[in-house]
Amino acid sequence: MRAIDKNLGCCPICHQIVTFPPRQGKEGAAYCPRCGTEVHLRKRDSLQTTLALLIASVIFYIPANLLPMMHVQTFAGTESDTIMSGVIYFMETGSYLIGSVIFIASILVPVLKMMILFYLIHTVRHRKATHPKERQKLYLLTEVIGRWSMVDVYVVSIMIALVHFGGLTEIRAGGGAVFFLLVVIVTMLAAMSFDPRLIWDTAKERHA
Amino acid sequence: MESRIICCHECDELCKIPYPLRIGRYKCPNCGHTLFRHYPGMVEKLYAIHIAALILFLVTNWYPFLTFEVLGNSSEANFTTAVRYLYEEHEYLLTVAVLMTTLVIPFSRIVLFLMLTGPLYHGRMPRYAPHLLKIMENITPWGMLDVFLVGALVSIVKLVKMGTIIPGISLWAFAVLILLLAYGQSIADPHPIWELIEKAQKEGRVKDYAKAVA
Repeated sequence: MRAIDKNLGCCPICHQIVTFPPRQGKEGAAYCPRCGTEVHLRKRDSLQTTLALLIASVIFYIPANLLPMMHVQTFAGTESDTIMSGVIYFMETGSYLIGSVIFIASILVPVLKMMILFYLIHTVRHRKATHPKERQKLYLLTEVIGRWSMVDVYVVSIMIALVHFGGLTEIRAGGGAVFFLLVVIVTMLAAMSFDPRLIWDTAKERHA
Repeated sequence: MESRIICCHECDELCKIPYPLRIGRYKCPNCGHTLFRHYPGMVEKLYAIHIAALILFLVTNWYPFLTFEVLGNSSEANFTTAVRYLYEEHEYLLTVAVLMTTLVIPFSRIVLFLMLTGPLYHGRMPRYAPHLLKIMENITPWGMLDVFLVGALVSIVKLVKMGTIIPGISLWAFAVLILLLAYGQSIADPHPIWELIEKAQKEGRVKDYAKAVA
């Protein structure tokens, strides 16, 4: 039995059950009696918000890959590294472990996350009732793996801190790092604004 | 037998939980997601873990993190050096992001845990407990110390070819800190604290939001 069928909401913070319709307050909103948080039966405008943030992240992902992550300045001149050129460099020099860590964290994870969220939005929009459990697992996966894309941003920041020899040899952050950071933040926000209960709604409505 | 209804926040299923609770993990019968965990002794363990974590966090920030030597030149980096250089290069977005995710939020989380579990351990109700739990719930996804550790390891491997890397005391303290915080995260569950808050609200010891709304 779904809580929404009984006109009950679930507090997003403390998971207390809240009765709807509320006696007063904003339209469609109740307040949790235990912690005072605003409660909605479903996250408001979940699909639109997630889709908007996803599109933004796709746009940010292009300069994140094309612009250099960092500029390495040595006696020989300045070298610029993008994400992909870094991965290729590691693969060519035989550091397969580090190469694959960077490839997974900076290329595979963001792309996979965007694809999963697009797929979930698509299935909810078209009221698909199949495989709700598997789709929920996919959603939980996006929540778990999302933050690991930050690895590359941290690598850049640690390299900047360590390779700092007063003008002669220096590493500076490139434009790609900022856009990549934006990709991570925006995809995390997109995953947060998606309401996983929507995945189950169609299946449960058909059962009832 | 007494029971209670809990709502699964992943699939919106109403789940019946029999009381008294047994030790272990409670799962949603519909989707299998963990509803909450019931482990007596959680508060004591979390208190101990986060006292240790606070000390390790201070050690991590005080001592040198890594030293890099190349051709007789050496540059030493603290945990916060990156933030300073990013700021000097006017990369404000990166500065704020690194500062928040590796310093401000992890430190606030340790302090919040201490503010909650400390009074509970000594048998008192923490002040502002609902607010503290609410802040905790909102900032948790943005603390990324564990990701930073992987970033540090990747950059060590990157730099080893260019020169000599000397790990500092801070790096070891940091690695232990990550393990401690991961263990704390695996046993932490706000559920029993919310139940205590509800009880205290009924006895009028904590601000009652039901009255404030009505």
